[in-house]
Amino acid sequence: MIYDIRQVTTCAYASPVAHAHHVLRLTPVNRPGQRVHLSALRIEPSPVKAREGADFFGNRLTSVTINEPHSTLSVKVSARIAVEPVARRDPAAAPAWETVRDDVFAATDIGPQSPVHFLFASRMVSLDPEIRDYARQSFTPGRPIVEAALELNHRIKTDMTYEIGATTVTTTAPMSFALRRGVCQDFAHIMISGLRGLGLPAAYVSGYLRTTRSAEQAQLQGADAMHAWVMVWCGEAIGWIGFDPTNDMVASDDHVVLAVGRDYSDVAPMDGVIVAAGGQRITVSVSVTPVQSTAALLPENAL
Amino acid sequence: MAVPRDKTLETEGSLDAFVAGYRPLPGIVDEMMHADGTVRPHWQTLLAQFAALGPEEINRRFAAADRYLHDSGVFYRVYEDPAGAERPWPLSHVPLIIEPTEWKALEAGLIQRARLLEAVLADAYGAGELMRDGRLPAALVAGNPEFLRPLVGVAPPGGAHLRFYAVDVGRGPDGRWWVLGDRAQAPSGAGYAIESRLALSRAMPDIYARTRVERVAPFFQAFQAELFSYNRQDDARVCLLTPGPLNETYFEHAFLARYLGLLLVEGEDLIARDDGVFIRTISGLRRTDVLLRRIDADFADPLELNAASRLGVAGLVQAVRDGKVVIANALGAGLVEARAMLAFLPALAPQVLGEELLVPNIATWWLGRKDVRDDVLSRLDDVVIAPAFGTQMTGLRLGGGVLGAELTDGQRTVLMQALQDRPIDYIAQEAVTLSTTPVWRDGRLQPRPFSLRLYLARIGDDWQVMPGGFVRIAENADARAISLQQGDLTADAWVLAEGPVSTASLLPAPEHVPVQRMTGMLQSRAADNLFWVGRYVERAEATLRLTRAMLGRLADASDVAAPLVTSIAALLQNWSAAPLDPAFSPPTLVARSVLLNPDFSGALPRLTRAARSAASVIRDRFSPDAWRAIDELAALIAAPLPNGQSDSAMIERVEAALRIIASFSGLAQENMTQLAGWRFLELGRRIERALQTCRFVRSFGAKDTPEGGLDVLLELADSQLTYRQRYVMIAALAPVIDLVLLDPSNPRSVAFQLDRIETHLAALPKREIAGRLSPVRQIAVTLATRLRTADAANISGGEIVEIENELMRLSEVIGSTYLTHSDRATADGDTVT
Repeated sequence: MIYDIRQVTTCAYASPVAHAHHVLRLTPVNRPGQRVHLSALRIEPSPVKAREGADFFGNRLTSVTINEPHSTLSVKVSARIAVEPVARRDPAAAPAWETVRDDVFAATDIGPQSPVHFLFASRMVSLDPEIRDYARQSFTPGRPIVEAALELNHRIKTDMTYEIGATTVTTTAPMSFALRRGVCQDFAHIMISGLRGLGLPAAYVSGYLRTTRSAEQAQLQGADAMHAWVMVWCGEAIGWIGFDPTNDMVASDDHVVLAVGRDYSDVAPMDGVIVAAGGQRITVSVSVTPVQSTAALLPENAL
Repeated sequence: MAVPRDKTLETEGSLDAFVAGYRPLPGIVDEMMHADGTVRPHWQTLLAQFAALGPEEINRRFAAADRYLHDSGVFYRVYEDPAGAERPWPLSHVPLIIEPTEWKALEAGLIQRARLLEAVLADAYGAGELMRDGRLPAALVAGNPEFLRPLVGVAPPGGAHLRFYAVDVGRGPDGRWWVLGDRAQAPSGAGYAIESRLALSRAMPDIYARTRVERVAPFFQAFQAELFSYNRQDDARVCLLTPGPLNETYFEHAFLARYLGLLLVEGEDLIARDDGVFIRTISGLRRTDVLLRRIDADFADPLELNAASRLGVAGLVQAVRDGKVVIANALGAGLVEARAMLAFLPALAPQVLGEELLVPNIATWWLGRKDVRDDVLSRLDDVVIAPAFGTQMTGLRLGGGVLGAELTDGQRTVLMQALQDRPIDYIAQEAVTLSTTPVWRDGRLQPRPFSLRLYLARIGDDWQVMPGGFVRIAENADARAISLQQGDLTADAWVLAEGPVSTASLLPAPEHVPVQRMTGMLQSRAADNLFWVGRYVERAEATLRLTRAMLGRLADASDVAAPLVTSIAALLQNWSAAPLDPAFSPPTLVARSVLLNPDFSGALPRLTRAARSAASVIRDRFSPDAWRAIDELAALIAAPLPNGQSDSAMIERVEAALRIIASFSGLAQENMTQLAGWRFLELGRRIERALQTCRFVRSFGAKDTPEGGLDVLLELADSQLTYRQRYVMIAALAPVIDLVLLDPSNPRSVAFQLDRIETHLAALPKREIAGRLSPVRQIAVTLATRLRTADAANISGGEIVEIENELMRLSEVIGSTYLTHSDRATADGDTVT
């Protein structure tokens, strides 16, 4: 499946910002099963300095410095990305979760791809005993890891209420779990906390979700936000599998990966330090449009 | 050659009597005394001298040491206390004595350990071979919160991760020293060790000299020279980066910065750019190539590390990556502090260095390995269980560690489940009984368990150990390592010299520091705070004077007093010191609001709190007494009125507050070095005083002012005495206005304030731009000229308002010239000459 993705992020400041540093994590990269045909970033006002780089996990970073006074910052992303469907597996054929766990404990690889980085508490995901005990109900002794993770994925979707506004970007997993409410970020953090609590590696994925399935349905332009889900390490033979607890599905070619980290704070699309007084208001609009492989770039996607 | 011996050394009887009541605790090694009750030889010189002094003189000497610490402002901040309470430094005055042979062995072992940790850091942030070869579990590195991924693959500028490293050691029951833990993030305590040494050497100079103790100053001189050697330009300044005054060891940061000749900076003072790291100063941006870091690495850069940090420098990680700044210790060096590391270092030493550890560390097992875990669980009662990385695990309060036998049933159940789920988060350690050292209690020596922190500095490619240390003593006699975390008392450690003591740094200033005169290097943030301390204190004073003038006239029922009281009350209401509501206009209510109401920006609770909070972030720039005055002022105003809210109680409060302000003024004038910082404090005060005096003149010196207004004006401007001496007559309009507004010889007049403002501005950087007066000086000179040429008989209210507007503009331009954090590099014409 090929998508044209367009995202516009606008920060409106209460008082003009004289000077700003930002780190943007908005440029997709090639990953197994995902090819970036084109991607471009436009920032206004234009930075005096922009620097491309990659973080430890291989996500693309753009660090920018803006020196001219501005009341609005806008960042526009345009990308065309091809995503391969993930082959279906028999969940029951996966190794027992305890085996996966013990293998990672003994890991010798500290490289960026090693699951060992996704095993511990991180800034926004503490190891909450309640969430762990909740997860444990699906991880009965000897159960194949994929089967258990599918069930946990399903239970989170069932037990939690999706509610925009119940939480914020800084809400931690124990907070939203206590509320039993939240958005995709919270659902993902809860699942990660539960899995890590049991000693299993789980990563946070930020990206995009195709919102309509059939070509007849109208595409919701600009109505969407960014999406988040979870990747679970299922042992050396299987590797990472994406689970989307917000939609109770396994990530396949409906999901486009932007960045992978330990939790939201690793992949936040915009981090920044600004010199200004007063608050800011951020609006984000996202569109994910399936296109033919031969399609020319849509005019509005041209930069 | 016969060496003349001190008589006291020969009086064996007195030494025996002195230690007669002292006995080592059963089964525990004591530093001072053998198990058979004889004093160890290397303690005899010290103890004989103590014995000769007698308990009374000892108490007197120890009290003198405490006084020295108090007078130097050495205190300990209680971290959990929201009020930021400080308590006296808990110095145990009896030093730990270490004999030279033992010291040499310890020294060699610690240097070896520093080399090992440097190699581990280089590998963890570099090739990762130790993990790939299975010698260090990957989970042990990945799970460590101090493993800073943005620094992976970055070689530390200057070539080393560790530059200042501390080790906690303790003596075990076998008589050997054991390493209890490593401090690699930003080791604390060395500053306190120096201060303790200064206190003791001053309180007992004779004893210190005769005991022949190794000096610590040469160690710090070498470290200072090492740091300075990384400056790439002569004008670059080495900085000590502190998280700020709220940190529990801020005193130490300020002290070490002064001692080592470093500039004490907070993250806000620095800016990282493509071409390097710069300090924001009143004379523009100044380069810094070297940072001694006392801020935890995770907080050092909000862009690439903890985004929530308000303490760091945006872009610092990139500056490191670009090789622009040497940081001691490198960001990420805290990785090797983890307790779990202790489990692997003994095996790593032979593999990495080709040598066994010379000084062993306390036996430690990482429970992430199944075979190890099963073995430990079989003897759980005998080991201490602790978090592997120092972070606490939810639901299991292990603190610094809990002895297996002492786990409650509840804890045991939780622990067993935790070890089932995530054994990688835990370690087990051998329970060690530490040796004891004497403390002076109730007029005699008593044994207490202790641990000793030792400091190492990397000098070139080698390491030096500070000959001394920071001793932490547990007040309770339970001698297990784990009970020492809180460190109830501290003591100095004296390493005895084998040969003659280095005389490079003798008393009375054993810890000699090279003379440093800092001009133009004042950080904008500090100048800004000093300026506002000046303004707030002065505004508080003016408000207090107004209140006093009002309250003083309340008792006077005459026709003259009433309208004056009303107009003073109205002025206070207009100054946002009291509600504008007519219902609150009765003078007593106004006075109450001025003195007690925290909701009004012009009332004293807000003014004094603002002064205190501006002063608190730069308190190292005040003498302890000047700081205390500001602190007392805020405390006085915050306290309820003791004798009810009567007028006389309020007058007493006003008088008390004015007395404190007067003492602060005196202290600031007399005790502050008259460098740029002092000038900003002065500028703040002078501008505020000029503004207030103008307002007083407009309110009480106008042609239509009620009768007696001129007396109020003279009182507010503290000029009655001068007036009477000069005119010997009742107050008349023109002479009064001349005195309080225009007379340059009256220290309260507006003209005098401008004269001082001109002088201060002329002494600051950026005083001239391209040969012309700077804009800020142009304003001041124009204003001063205007006052010099004005005529008291004809000056109008409108003109005074213009002067006030110019004063406010002056304040703004001072702000934009010196205090705003400008990102522009220093232009050539801008620099100080």
